[in-house]
Amino acid sequence: MHEMGVAAEVRRIARQAVADRGPGRITCVRLAVGDLAAIEPELLKYAWEALVVGTPEEGAALEVDWRPATQTCRICGDLPGRAPGSWLRICPRCGGILSVTGGDDLDVLQVVFEEEDNPADRAVPGGAR
Amino acid sequence: MTEIDVKQKVLAANAAAAAGLRETFARTGTLVVNLISSPGSGKTTLLEKTVAVLKGSLSLGGLEGDIATERDAERLRKMGIPARQILTGGSCHLDARQVERALADEGGRLSNLDILFIENVGNLICPTSYDLGEDFKIVLLSVTEGEDKPFKYPAIFSKAAVTVVTKIDLLPYVPFDLAAVREQVATLAPDGRLVEVSATSGAGMDAWLSLLTDALAKKRAGVPAAGVAS
Repeated sequence: MHEMGVAAEVRRIARQAVADRGPGRITCVRLAVGDLAAIEPELLKYAWEALVVGTPEEGAALEVDWRPATQTCRICGDLPGRAPGSWLRICPRCGGILSVTGGDDLDVLQVVFEEEDNPADRAVPGGAR
Repeated sequence: MTEIDVKQKVLAANAAAAAGLRETFARTGTLVVNLISSPGSGKTTLLEKTVAVLKGSLSLGGLEGDIATERDAERLRKMGIPARQILTGGSCHLDARQVERALADEGGRLSNLDILFIENVGNLICPTSYDLGEDFKIVLLSVTEGEDKPFKYPAIFSKAAVTVVTKIDLLPYVPFDLAAVREQVATLAPDGRLVEVSATSGAGMDAWLSLLTDALAKKRAGVPAAGVAS
């Protein structure tokens, strides 16, 4: 519901990450979004597209790495293959109480940045790069 | 093309503000609870009844988040405690920096309290993700909302240390499967507490009030926040 604010924060973090890289362009930002982070990846992408129109980031992709929450048994570990929206109270293997872990990620993982050619190089055709 | 590893939390600025608030509240020994629910579940009514009982023995205050109107803060002030409205102007949640500002604007009237109640914007989704420096989150679910809510909104029901089922005086009149709610809450928050109250009839209020006073006592005794509500 607050995807626009999150998109703006993502851009701020991405810009900060490339601040000292010289001229160039952000082409992609990779995010981790958890199951329980209250963020809908699709809406976040729409918000991102609306935010970057007419800015230096226009056309930059937002890639979302979805992180599901897991149910964990103290004895058997993580319960594999939980269907979305289905929650179990007890471990099907040992009958122990399960806890809910993870899924609250909302992190900028990586920024892909394309440097512009150095104008000094461009002045000399075929010059050393 | 360069790939730059960033690994930074998107909500880091909020988290930093929340950490500062938590430090302040630790110094003053103030128990801070963040109440989250859908609109109309009875957050303010529960607080009015809570204040009526506890204000004689404890210093209390309220921060009220809403998108519009001063109404909730006025209701708490009428109960005789300091309260400040934070108007979010359409935003769906409170942010730790708004709490910081509100406390500063109150010039100390909401500092050094025994218990500070933060009533979040009515919404079961977004407030879940924003740490406000509280000791724990409390989620409210009224019996008129239906028993399917915990699994529909697993984030808040798994992160809240306390679930309060409200308006239980209406149980004879509405189809609401209390056992199903208990089961879902136990699944999402196996270490959490569940209390069932009616602010109108007073049923369950003793358990709710002692949960708060016990949590305050534990905080003063230095029990870590995670253990406060268990």
